[in-house]
Amino acid sequence: MTLLLPTLAEPSSFALGEKLLFAALAVASGLLFAHRFVPILRTILRARKDADFRLSPLGRRVRDLVWDVMCQAKVIRQRPLPGLAHAFVFWSFCAFALVTLNHCAAGLGLGFLSPAGLFGRWYFYLAAAFALACSAGILGLFVRRFLVRPRWLGSHVSWESGFIAFLIFNLMMTYLAAFVVPTGSPAVKVLWWVHTLTLLVFLPILPHTKHLHLILSPATVFLSRGSFSRIPPLAGDEDFGLVAGTDLTRLAALQAYSCVECGRCTEHCPAADTGKLLNPKEIVLGLRAYLNEQGPASAEPILGKYNAQEAVFQCTTCGSCEFQCPVGIEHLPLIVGLRRGAVNTGTWEDDRGARLFLALERGTNALGLPAAEREKFIQKQNFPIFDGSQEYCLWLGCMGAYDPKGREIVADFARVMNYLGTSYGVLRKEKCTGDPVRRLGNDLVFQQLAESNLELLAQSHAKKIVTICPHCVRTIQEDWKEFGTPPAIEHHSEFLARHLSRLPQVHSDEKIVFHDPCYLGRYRNVYDEPRAVVEHAGTRVEAARSGERSFCCGAGGGLTFLGEESGERVSHVRAAELAATGAATVAAACPFCNSMLHDAFAAQGSGAPEFVDIAQLTARALPQPTPPANG
Amino acid sequence: MSGVWVVLEERAGRIGRISWEAVAAGQALAQQLGLTVSAVIPGAQTETPAAEAATKAINKVVRLDHALLSPYTPDGFLGALEQFFRAVQPGYVVFPHTYQVRDYAPALAARFGQAFIGDVTGFADGPVFHRQLLQGRLTGTYRPAGNETCFLSVQSGAFRADQLAAGSPPVEVFTPALEATQIRTWSSTPFRAAAQTVDLSTAPVIVSVGRGIKEADNLPLIQELAKALGAELAASRPICDNGWLPIERQVGSSGQTVAPKLYVAVGISGAIQHLVGIKGSQCIVAINKDPDAPIFEAADYGIVGDLFEVVPALIDALKASAT
Amino acid sequence: MKIVVAIKQIPERDAAVRIDAAGAWIDESDMQWGMNESDAYALEEALRLKEAYGGEVIALSAGPERVSSTLREALAKGADRAIHVDAKDLAQRDSLNVAQLLAAAIRPESPDLILTGLQSDDLGYGLTGVLVAELLRLPHASLILHVEKTESGLSVKRELEEGWFQNIELPLPALLTIQSGGNKLRYATLMGIKRAKTKELRNVAASDLGVAPAQTVALERIALPQKQKSTQILTGPAKEAAVALVERLKFEARVL
Repeated sequence: MTLLLPTLAEPSSFALGEKLLFAALAVASGLLFAHRFVPILRTILRARKDADFRLSPLGRRVRDLVWDVMCQAKVIRQRPLPGLAHAFVFWSFCAFALVTLNHCAAGLGLGFLSPAGLFGRWYFYLAAAFALACSAGILGLFVRRFLVRPRWLGSHVSWESGFIAFLIFNLMMTYLAAFVVPTGSPAVKVLWWVHTLTLLVFLPILPHTKHLHLILSPATVFLSRGSFSRIPPLAGDEDFGLVAGTDLTRLAALQAYSCVECGRCTEHCPAADTGKLLNPKEIVLGLRAYLNEQGPASAEPILGKYNAQEAVFQCTTCGSCEFQCPVGIEHLPLIVGLRRGAVNTGTWEDDRGARLFLALERGTNALGLPAAEREKFIQKQNFPIFDGSQEYCLWLGCMGAYDPKGREIVADFARVMNYLGTSYGVLRKEKCTGDPVRRLGNDLVFQQLAESNLELLAQSHAKKIVTICPHCVRTIQEDWKEFGTPPAIEHHSEFLARHLSRLPQVHSDEKIVFHDPCYLGRYRNVYDEPRAVVEHAGTRVEAARSGERSFCCGAGGGLTFLGEESGERVSHVRAAELAATGAATVAAACPFCNSMLHDAFAAQGSGAPEFVDIAQLTARALPQPTPPANG
Repeated sequence: MSGVWVVLEERAGRIGRISWEAVAAGQALAQQLGLTVSAVIPGAQTETPAAEAATKAINKVVRLDHALLSPYTPDGFLGALEQFFRAVQPGYVVFPHTYQVRDYAPALAARFGQAFIGDVTGFADGPVFHRQLLQGRLTGTYRPAGNETCFLSVQSGAFRADQLAAGSPPVEVFTPALEATQIRTWSSTPFRAAAQTVDLSTAPVIVSVGRGIKEADNLPLIQELAKALGAELAASRPICDNGWLPIERQVGSSGQTVAPKLYVAVGISGAIQHLVGIKGSQCIVAINKDPDAPIFEAADYGIVGDLFEVVPALIDALKASAT
Repeated sequence: MKIVVAIKQIPERDAAVRIDAAGAWIDESDMQWGMNESDAYALEEALRLKEAYGGEVIALSAGPERVSSTLREALAKGADRAIHVDAKDLAQRDSLNVAQLLAAAIRPESPDLILTGLQSDDLGYGLTGVLVAELLRLPHASLILHVEKTESGLSVKRELEEGWFQNIELPLPALLTIQSGGNKLRYATLMGIKRAKTKELRNVAASDLGVAPAQTVALERIALPQKQKSTQILTGPAKEAAVALVERLKFEARVL
């Protein structure tokens, strides 16, 4: 059987002159590579240390490396076809590591793998199989990049990508050709030299192009902060966020150099999708340009020439970019970091933003309404006051306490808890969790709010919190950790899903589409619970973009308070997408989504689907309270 | 001590409503204390307003007349009124609580060693004076400590001027000694803000329309209401999203934040982002057919009904009350 | 330009108000305090003037220990130093007496310009600025929205009633009372708070200023207004409801 297969033809010997020429070229290639790569490495290492960086737990890092790098899981999952093509190129590179090493060693007469040996023969076959797959993959990627051109690759046609693709293709072809030329023919040596020269050209080009990710991205993935959208604590009295080069950390620099410009972040960005200035890819490339031109010791501001302040403040922090990034770039800490730099030093001037900050500097809620309004609502609803004896502290949040729609959700959720006999109470002096100021980069106000709320919760001896607002959940559970230990908290979708078996079900064929809130899905990894609640009430259908890929409503990142000045409204795009499912009802699980999409559907006019929270879906099936006998 | 003196404010030769209200307050106070009420009009060429004042049942009218009293300057008014009141030794001096009075009257009281009681809404035996505290959340009662002259101003609308009895008091002239060098500030003639496109944030009256209007063709009805109220026209977000009105007329957290005296919300249910934009309004009126619409929670006055019936009736009522 | 900004600390807008046992003032225990709104605008104007013309901004406030937090806030927003007139007896002083106290604290500074807010949102007198000017014999202008420096002094824009304005020119030194809304307020920043820690906050005892507590007018007692704000729904046919509404807007709300 093996006799029928052609074997790899290798040059039998090299003259001394050839050996010297090869050695000289190899050294030159290596030096050229280092000439660019060493400065990059130095830039990364000269950047500020990440104060909060911990190598442990190693398990997570190894898993990410194996799964996302070695197995290419994220690349394939997010874009199956091009992902697979990319994966084959990557796996071929891995397989070729040994082949290439042997190839070069052979040039010095030190070859260690022989096509005649058992291992060598089979290994070369294996590599040939990968070479075939890689060639197919690279051709596919070439066609996509230069002929099909998806929008998110940007309008700039990258000829260097084409050249790199040509080099890779050439490497594969010269390798495969060696199987078909007869051993001993002069073509063997020609192929060897063409292959070698291609390699020696490829190597120094790498660090000049986005193909640098070949070298950096495994490290980026391995070293990433790990938890989604993790905003690092400020380090010391002079750290105000990302203002200048001196604020860029090693991780930020490593990530900036790792970007492969694939545009996955752009593709799913609600701002970029609706014609706004923000493009998450450009944020990362802006940082890279800054590092190249200014370096990590520069005091030159990052915002301005390298990144536009306007763009930075258009981010809804939906996290699609970070979630999808195959090379481990954490966009949110970068974008929020740039916002922190602008807000903490007072260089961001925005009327609505300032109004929000002033409202929370002095008042209790992001809406700037008098706290008495909240008290009136609590009295009207007869909510018990939390005194430590109840099982749950029901956290109202600004929307639940002040927004008429949010109040309806809270009231319905309370009815469900009453029905289940779950004891709960509300806090008299709850303040905004600080979510919008946190995302907008106002550390001063965020810290004030977090500390005052933590103190209040400690005094009240709350052990478990439940709330209708995923933003509150996230902020309390993750962001407050910087200032203390928050009680356990869950979102009402989790509570409802757990108690579904005890809740009445009114059978219905009603088609209901669930809109995944960013802060519940990507931020908390809760997808199934709200769907279970939806299925309890009707027939679930899915929107074109749902689950991990759900599209934002436009409210997050404090943007609901800033207004949306340019482009199409994100909420309108999403509302149209939800309406297109033909569902009679849209269910959401976030009062911000509720408010944004409600307005969007209102603008659509008649024929728009009904819009409810999952708590309201559940409450609809509850028996109506019997009016008092004497009523 | 010579009774109660009311300082009248003339504007373009006329005496404003709030000055008449100060007269009404002065009369009520004088009646309670068994004193007489007189009026003084500071200004230059005050014959016309003095003649107007002399049609009411008061003791006498004094023209505090000097060329340097027009235009108004605090130095001029302070100098003139100090001389005048040193001469007449009043028991009580009542001012209308206008921007002009706030600019000089406290200093006038200080020259007599007295603290000024501003923005009075009423009084009771003593006399003690009532005024609002904490922006209307409390009322305070103030008692003058001694028997010195008491200086106070009365809030617009706190006393009703429409039942002042007629009379024909004598008109006297008092000419203060004023030098141009005493006046340290220079005032321009008043002007209105340059007409700009739309500035809802400073509009004193706003009529705002929401989805209850149903279609763009019905907007003229709301425009007519705005005209009757002398109001700027505004809208909630869905109206502007639909392009029925330009975006700069949108009120709410994603539009303009407004703080008018009067905000009339027509066919607006009251989404949170809208409520946030109107919370600075002094008085909110809501017209909506849904009695459960959240806007009613925020409103001071509400009419539950079909806006296509209520708005025309309101326009009629406004026209009727204006005549 | 050396500018003194007189700032008052008042109960937070949102704070629940309870009347104290004596019925003469609100119960201050458990109360949240903050900077009076128009004073915040006065501070903003001062900071802008300093940014435009150079100089120094001095924040001044009278009251008990707690007012130092509001002065710290002013320092964080950009004031250069602060003076705290330490007085626990403000309730035994009338508006004139408090103005005398402030004037005595300002006099040794001989500033070019004194700014105050138009009025406080708690007592709402709107007197302090005009009185301080009178006591220091300075020219003044009130209800100011916009300030410009000229060769001979200042040119300011004063708000009149019903959408009218006028320009006023006055020499320096002078005093202005600032109306809310003329500028956009800046928000407090982390950097500002950190920088404020090293700024001077000087304490002056009220007793050292030579102004003994006195009052010619006393706040005798306070009460909740008879009618709390609640929505009045006007019923009946459209015509009747409309007439009733116009009547109420005119005589009750007094907004027509």
